[in-house]
Order: sequence, then structure tokens, then C-alpha cells
Amino acid sequence: MSNLLNLIWNEQIKLYAKKATWVMFAALLIVAIGGGIITKFFGTESDFKEYGDDWQAELQAENAQLTAEMEEEEFAGFMNEMTIAENIYHIENDIKPQPYDGWEYVLENSFLTSVISLFTIIVAAGIISSEFKWGTIKLLLIRPISRTKILLSKYLSVLIFAFTLLVFLLASSWLVGAVLFGLNGLNPMVVQDLMPGYVQNDVIGEIVKSYGFSLVTLVMMATFAFMISAIFRSSGMAIGLAIFLMMAGNAIVAFLSQYAWSKYILFANTNLAQYTNGMEPVIPGMSMTFSIIVLLVYFVIFIAASWAAFTKRDVAGN
Amino acid sequence: MEVYILSKTAMQLVNLKKTIGSKPIIKGLDFEIRAGEVFGFLGPNGAGKTTTIRMMVGLIDITEGDVLIEGKSIKRDFKGAIQHVGAIVENPEMYPFLSGWKNLKQYARMVEGVSEDRIKEVVSLVGLQKAIHEKAGRYSLGMRQRLGIAQALLHGPSILILDEPTNGLDPSGIREIRKYIRNLAEKENVAVIVSSHLLTEIELMCDRIGVIKNGELIAIEEVRSVENKEALKEVYIEVEPLETARAYLDNHLSNGVGVGNKELSMSVKREEIPQILKNLIEQGINIYGVRVLQATLEDKFFDLIGENSIE
Repeated sequence: MSNLLNLIWNEQIKLYAKKATWVMFAALLIVAIGGGIITKFFGTESDFKEYGDDWQAELQAENAQLTAEMEEEEFAGFMNEMTIAENIYHIENDIKPQPYDGWEYVLENSFLTSVISLFTIIVAAGIISSEFKWGTIKLLLIRPISRTKILLSKYLSVLIFAFTLLVFLLASSWLVGAVLFGLNGLNPMVVQDLMPGYVQNDVIGEIVKSYGFSLVTLVMMATFAFMISAIFRSSGMAIGLAIFLMMAGNAIVAFLSQYAWSKYILFANTNLAQYTNGMEPVIPGMSMTFSIIVLLVYFVIFIAASWAAFTKRDVAGN
Repeated sequence: MEVYILSKTAMQLVNLKKTIGSKPIIKGLDFEIRAGEVFGFLGPNGAGKTTTIRMMVGLIDITEGDVLIEGKSIKRDFKGAIQHVGAIVENPEMYPFLSGWKNLKQYARMVEGVSEDRIKEVVSLVGLQKAIHEKAGRYSLGMRQRLGIAQALLHGPSILILDEPTNGLDPSGIREIRKYIRNLAEKENVAVIVSSHLLTEIELMCDRIGVIKNGELIAIEEVRSVENKEALKEVYIEVEPLETARAYLDNHLSNGVGVGNKELSMSVKREEIPQILKNLIEQGINIYGVRVLQATLEDKFFDLIGENSIE
């Protein structure tokens, strides 16, 4: 066990000794700060509006104004309609609207997990192939440690790296959000416009859900890149294939959705959020359980293929 | 030979074979390396030296046969076998973005019981103290070679495998490494396997040499063995008159005589030389010079493998 921890420690040292890794963290930080500044200075004014005790009357006045605006200028229609609908939801459910805050900023930044996926793919793609590129694989594999354990340490290192990026994104978004927008308490309620209409939930729960679901794609694509790296010993191919599939995944599913077997495609199942909040799955007849089983099968195949390629094959030539 | 019977076998190759596709690369190697000896693994490029070394350390699968390290099979008990081995396979490749020290720490963490002091000890053994905290990417090939030897020695192995260890070293560096390798073998009883195509190098530091060609071991030579009394030597004698001497020796030597410019050449045993000279003098032939060609390892090597052909 201490053996495995040492191996993971080794991998982390190698990872953070490279500038590229720090560039990834810097990029996330810049996006978190930049996004905050843009929201703060170019965001919709109504989002930051603080309402008084008489907030129902304020909302109604707002709606009346918006309706009038829509009659004058047709193009204002869609945005105004949304605001009106949200205001009506607040009035009907007796929820006082709260100004935009740091928590909501964290929640909104969950889209940045796709950036984390991208970075994790790059790291996963390089963690095996680089050792071959440097020639150090020969020194790594002649220690009294099984290849399986070395592979495991590398895989766990990739997951630890993804997790570190995730914590970094959460922390920096929260800090930026708190400084720029303040916080509405420890775990305020937040109203969101989801598929079936407006709903109110506590914000931490929503953050966990939204980041958590995005982790599925992250782990699957990182594992995929790791497998390609183990089989072909080339990081370029692993990065290219994984990113292409991540980007094109939904399009592939849409293109093939006419066939019944398309529900077995990985990308039809990576978005587990499709089963929450009463949404309809991409292909009829799929369920959360079905998707989890399909994901597990893919995961096992990826890991098994990586293992077979890494432990069974000769390490010869350069 | 008696000396070696006492020392134990460190590594044994048993009918070791490697076939890639349908092509036999290594065609059945059988030899052993003993504790405390420096074994030279000599052969032209493409002969299968590196392939054999890769099988010794478990980097590639063994098609047939086995490698026993301290009695343990690299195939069946990889960890038990490899823990006795320190090696450089081909070039000493290091993480270029880590310092020499951090490179060594990587490998120290992979085995039990390598202390900071041990790392320092190894670093000073290979003479890298000054540059050890510089990035390995800035090292010269010679420095990387030393760092490579340092990583191979960290855990105090009983078998050290070095692939072309003097590659890229300057003459003084080569002398140091040679001295150090001899020291390891003689004082620490380490079995050292050195592969090389540099004959002079291997001759200077090895006790025995195995010559490999086209995947087959074609000879094992004792380098420091006592001179073989039965071996024929090439002897050149400068004589006058040349023709009389030739006629006389032609009648008396079974192997015949070659005629050069002022010189006669013949293949005879060392002990025959005085008698031949005496006889020539008795025949009234003047002798101006005698030289005996020492058969160097280089000659033996080229005799053994002939041209550098790759099948």
C-alpha cells in the first residue's frame, strides 16, 4: 500500500514539475476571474437588484413595464418573457427574489468542467505515452513492482489531478463570486429555469448535482484517453481521438438515434442529468439504471484494454 | 578455472530464446554470470545484445527458456528476481524536467529502504555532486551515463547490467567508470554485465567475454586467462639469406612458411621458437630480428564473428 502511495506521489511530482500543468491551473483561474468581471459589469441589471419588503409590488411593476416594452419593440420579446415568467413564479410561490451572488456564480461555472475534462484528457493521454517518449519506461518497469500497480498508480494520478482541478475551480469561482457579488447566506435557495419550468432548490445541492453529473463525461473520456495512450503509446492520437469524441459525441448520437442500438453508444449515456427534473431521455426507453450499466461496461472495457496493453506487451525499441 | 567454481552463480540463462513473428531473434543462449565477475557481452550491432538484456530484466517476454536471477525466474517470480538487479537498458534516459537528485528520488521511492544518505553516497560514487541539483535535461551524455549508473546502484543490487556504459564518456570518465566497475566486482562481489561493441573497452574491464552473433553465443573467452601454451602464434623472423632459410624451414615445419620482404612468417607454438632460432643459426643463417604477433582480443573477435553481417 505504501508502495502504491509512493508511486502516486512520484506521478504527482512528475506532473507538477511540468509548466504545462501550471498553465492549466492559470487558465482556469483566468476564466473564473474574467467570467466574474464580465458578469459583474456587463450582466443584466435586474439580476443584481435588491428588493425591499414590498417585493411583490415591485415585481408586478417590473412585469407591467416589460409587457409595455414588448409592445413597442418586438425583438425584446424572448428575454422579457423569461423575466416575466420568473417574476410570476416568485409571486405565485411567495419566494422573494434574491440578488445574484457568489453561489450562483459557482453554479453557473459548472460549464467549465468541460475545460477540466479537456485538461484531464491531455494529462491522461500523456501519462503513459510520455514515459515511452522519454525512454524512462525502461527504468520504471525494472523495479520490483508489478506493471499492474504502476498502471494503477498512473490511472489514480489522473483522477487525482482531475479532482484537484475541480476543487481549484470550485474554490476560485466561490472566492471570485464572493468578492464580486457577495453571498446570500451559507446555503441559499436558488430559482432555476429547468426544462419543466421554474424550480427552487438549495444551491449547494444544485452545485453538487451539476458538477457531479459532468464528472461522468470527464471520467469516461479521461479513461478512454488513458486506454488509447496505453495501447498506442502515443499522446497525440489519444488527445485527438478523445477530444473529437467528446465534442462530436452528441452529434453522433443524434445522427444515429433512428437505430435502436444507438442507446448503447457511450455518449447517449454520459449525460445522467437527462433523467432528472422530469426530462425526457435522448432515446426513448432508456433509464438511469440502463445508462449506469452501459457506462460501467464501457469503463470496464477501457480499463481492461489499458491493462492488457500495458502489462502484456513487450517494451522494445524506441 | 578453480577460482570460479567457488563463486556462486548470480544469473543464469537457460536456453533463452526470443522469436518475433516467425523470426528467431535469440536462438537459445546458455551461460551464467558469477558473483564478483565482470562479464562482457560483446557483439556487432543487431546481434541481439539489447534484446537479451531486455529479457534479462523482464521488459520483453521470453519465448522459450528462462533467466534465473539469484535462482529466481524472471518469468515466474518477477519481483523476487528483479530486486537483485540494477540496470541501464540502452541509453540512460532520465526525466529531463527533473533535477538529477529528483530523478534518483523517483527510483528511491520505488524500493524499500533507500535512505537520503544512500542516495548521497551513490551520487558521490559516480562523481555527480556538483551537478546533482541541475535539471537532467541539461546534462551531457556523460553526466546522464553517470546518473544512469547511480540509479542502477541505489538499492545495492547484486547484479548490475550496463548497456554500453562508456558511451559518451570522455577518456578520463571511461577510466573512472572502469575502475568503479572493477571495484564493485572485486570488493562488493557484484556481478556486472557490460554490453559493448567496443572491444578494447571490454577487454580492459571484463573477466570473461561472451560473444554473440545473429542471436547465438559463439564463444566465451577468459580475458585474464593464462596464455594458452598450445595456441599457435604468428612469428616473423628477419633473415639472410632469405631463400636458404625458407628452404630449410619448409622441410622442418609442418605448417609451412610464408615469405615476405626480408622476412619469413610461420605459425608455431611459443615453446618451439627457441629451437627454430637455434637451428637457423646452426645453418649459418643470420638473424636480424624476431617478432611475435600478439593475438589481441580484437583479432579473436573478428576471427569469431567474421564480417558484421545482420541476417
